[in-house]
Amino acid sequence: MVEAIAVASGKGGTGKTTATLALGMALADDGYDVTVVDADTGLANLLFHTGLDDATVTLHDLLLGDDDVTVADATYDRFGLSVVPCGTDLGDFEAADPERLADVVAELAVDADVLLLDSPAALGSKSAVLPIVLADRVVVVLQPTLPALSDGLKVHEYAAAYGTDTAGVLYNRVHDAADVDAVREQTERYFDAPVIGSVPDADVVRDARAAGEPLLAHAPETDAAVAFRDAADGIDPRDRDEDAVASRFSSAVVPDRP
Amino acid sequence: MKLPRGDLVASRVVDDYAVALRDALDDAVTGYLVLEPGSTLLTGDDDAGVLTLADGVPVLASHTGTERGGPGALADLAGPGPVQVDRRVVASTALAEVHDVDGRDALAVAPGEPARVLAGDHDLAARTRERAPEDHPGRGEDADPLDAFLADDDRVAAIREEARAEAERRAEEWGFVDQLD
Repeated sequence: MVEAIAVASGKGGTGKTTATLALGMALADDGYDVTVVDADTGLANLLFHTGLDDATVTLHDLLLGDDDVTVADATYDRFGLSVVPCGTDLGDFEAADPERLADVVAELAVDADVLLLDSPAALGSKSAVLPIVLADRVVVVLQPTLPALSDGLKVHEYAAAYGTDTAGVLYNRVHDAADVDAVREQTERYFDAPVIGSVPDADVVRDARAAGEPLLAHAPETDAAVAFRDAADGIDPRDRDEDAVASRFSSAVVPDRP
Repeated sequence: MKLPRGDLVASRVVDDYAVALRDALDDAVTGYLVLEPGSTLLTGDDDAGVLTLADGVPVLASHTGTERGGPGALADLAGPGPVQVDRRVVASTALAEVHDVDGRDALAVAPGEPARVLAGDHDLAARTRERAPEDHPGRGEDADPLDAFLADDDRVAAIREEARAEAERRAEEWGFVDQLD
């Protein structure tokens, strides 16, 4: 089985990478083989959260079409996850071919139960939308603010346009739990998906990032970590045939450069 | 809301409301901002929000399209994308007269609300609240614009329709048409 899930927000600063890794670790604890891919190829983030600052081979090398580099070379075992980070070289980013992402994801799908795609914040380019196009479902990470919510609705609508279901809405960096409770019902109605979690804003999240560790490794007993684990319970990965998923990715028609 | 013309000191398009509000606070603007969201720039509507400022702190808000004031005006203005901002400076005595008129309570916003609602910036909201004087007419306002926004089915539907149309338009540009549902 494998299911590809894009973690997206529509707005920066919602804690999307923190959420991706936390959901990934929680699902791995539940026994799933989880691969996390930094699909935000223009703003590498995952490597800093996983202590891979010095990674020599990254997704960029694969997107550059370097024949000497295999997907396995760019995949690192960290914290019970397979992690595929992006490099920080903007020159590489500009030269990278986003269309190759489909092939990389297809290859990763063969060995994973769950593929989490940490997606770019904005929807302004083809490479930014690609993870949402490719994924089976999307998790929308939001803060309970009006701008974040309107951007999140936009992500949901883009996903729906491409036939990608919304698995759930995850409220993150929440200052007051009552803010989420007040809008939970309407959120679920508009997103046609459950609110899978409400994660409190906490300094420990920034500490974890500074330490180069995912939150669930750095501070597993904190309220924020517990809230992420509860949220992961709401995802319930679906059993999809890995060959069919891989085939869908590798055959994704992405003909023109933007 | 009847406002003196004041002096137009800046007119520009900024990435989002956070930039406009942060600059106004940092420059301690006394006057008002005319805010025209990106969605109306595209459609050619002349709907705009007006936000008065005393020493950089928002005081009254109104919306020319919906004619709502206060938190309702903020909810009407909120949305993603760039914003055209005109900044007008007004003599503090003239602005004080505006802020003292009857009916101002219907227009008043809590000092940090524009930053929280329009920009989602809690730090800027906190900084703005700290700057607000004790007699700020919006102090103690506890309206929930997020709740108000979500209760407005038409407005949410409009955002969704616009996003869907944009996604489909771009699918053609980017060659994703086969992936459309």
